[in-house]
Amino acid sequence: MKGVLVTGATTPFGRALVQGLLDDDDFGHVLALGADEHPDLPLNDRLSWIRADLTRSRTIRRLLFGPVREHRIEAIVHGAHHRNPADRGHKLHRLNVESTRLMLRLAEQHPTVRHFILRSYADVYRVRPHLADILWEDAPLELGTRAPQILRDRVEADVTACGRLGLSSLRILVLRCAEIYAADMGSQLWDYLHRRFCVRPVGFDPMVNLLSLDDAVQAHLLALKSKARGVVNIPGKDTLPLTRAIRLSGKQQYAMPGWMLGPAYRLRGGGSNASFRYHLNVERFHSTAILGGLRAREVLGYEPSNPLAWPIQQT
Amino acid sequence: MDLHPLAGTLLRKSVLSRELRARVDALDLPDEGHGYDSFGMNREWVAGALIVTRFLYERWFRVESSGIHHLPAEGAAVLASNHSGALPLDALMIWTDIVRKSDPPRVPRVVVDHFVNLLPVLNVLFTRAGAVGGSRANFHETLTGGDLVLVFPEGVPGIGKPFSKRYQLARWREGHAELAIRHGVPVVPIAVIGAEEQMPQLGRIDGIKVFGSPYLPICVPPLPLPVRYHIHYGAPIPLHEQYKPKQATDPDVLQEAAAQVEEAVKGLISKGLALRKGVFR
Repeated sequence: MKGVLVTGATTPFGRALVQGLLDDDDFGHVLALGADEHPDLPLNDRLSWIRADLTRSRTIRRLLFGPVREHRIEAIVHGAHHRNPADRGHKLHRLNVESTRLMLRLAEQHPTVRHFILRSYADVYRVRPHLADILWEDAPLELGTRAPQILRDRVEADVTACGRLGLSSLRILVLRCAEIYAADMGSQLWDYLHRRFCVRPVGFDPMVNLLSLDDAVQAHLLALKSKARGVVNIPGKDTLPLTRAIRLSGKQQYAMPGWMLGPAYRLRGGGSNASFRYHLNVERFHSTAILGGLRAREVLGYEPSNPLAWPIQQT
Repeated sequence: MDLHPLAGTLLRKSVLSRELRARVDALDLPDEGHGYDSFGMNREWVAGALIVTRFLYERWFRVESSGIHHLPAEGAAVLASNHSGALPLDALMIWTDIVRKSDPPRVPRVVVDHFVNLLPVLNVLFTRAGAVGGSRANFHETLTGGDLVLVFPEGVPGIGKPFSKRYQLARWREGHAELAIRHGVPVVPIAVIGAEEQMPQLGRIDGIKVFGSPYLPICVPPLPLPVRYHIHYGAPIPLHEQYKPKQATDPDVLQEAAAQVEEAVKGLISKGLALRKGVFR
């Protein structure tokens, strides 16, 4: 039975994944790692909780050659990434990128770890009107220097893992997940659709694809069981126009010219703790960009099957 | 821009004829769970597009077509047509003709240039009616999904031809032949007669690019004339039987295959011009 280390285990997705691993008898010991002091995790003999700061390289070394070796962990699911786009700085870069780089390097020298899964994001793809509506795994990445740090970090972490594909003894899988539509997941659309009203660009209504927590967990469990390597898109079950998502959320919507939306949202966001940033979403509010799920179906046997239950209330 | 289902149904029932309503209801459209496919096509909007094109199709251009039985009843095919007329109304009329007359009713996926995605409102109308941007991934998705994919191998230079070059094909690109061979699907040649005379183009201003369009045409008159459209569908060309998918990378094979399609379209144009009694008849 395969032991698994889950980083970012105190996020809603991390908790759901840990529960999924515990519910599945194919998996052995689960080592859950997070930054929270009091994690809301189930009590189980197969589960160990570790509080650790992944921005410190010494911590990562101690983790991998301490508890990970003791519990004979075979697989790492790395999903500890910063989620607030307003934050920036070296420390975040260490968490988002350097922890991935170091964990990969150490895992390659590790006596028990054989499998490394990076939870990546659909945001890493470049979205432009002249590019495809359906994004395959070889679609262009967002490498613009003007992109905000959170986006650049996500791309760099993704590329860091991809850079070891074919060179490493590890079985590396990069799962580029569609936006997980849930609270506290750093979902931009979640924040957008949970405001009092939604303002969108006039004359544009792109399709969006949203992933439920259940499907995200299912994809990761299949990835842990598979022998696949490489990059795999993980689309969600819900593909719908932005305007329909707003309507299903029960919100009023107003349209205004795209060039006015940036300043409008800056004014609106000032002083609040909202995480929605229009400049992060400007391209996908104008152009459709849906993850193609062909490879996920072929190599993982993954098919999105759990739609969201609209309207989804803030919890 | 999300059409309320009730509004869509009411609109459809009040404006479309019983026969067209039945055709829209009989369309076998993919649905990703909210009534839309991945590209954004939606049944209510297809009906809405039929309402919008009804006047142009029935009254203005008085479209006549022949050979629609050449379209496969099921499965994917590449539809390759000549392109002309300053405004891409020929695409709109082929789309309408296929939705109205194909048996069983099918919606072709019209491949549009990328600048269309930059046009406010129009981009939504186009995608809801089944249009897709011309990228390789989009082609793959539509052909593997079993769609009829309508392409204009001349591209934008086709509709940018001066009046003096009417019914002469611009450079015939090979992409459609490659896709047909790679995906193992036939190519149906199409010729549109009439569109060349709808807006005679006297010149163009290359410096002005509105919403990404490559130039500003100077047409007299500035609006389309009520010419009669004749659409001719030719027999399918089985490129997929003549060539193996691995030959889709061979430039000589692609040139040869595309030339077959070009010749077929030229033949249909000649036949159509010979049959036509006049520009407006």
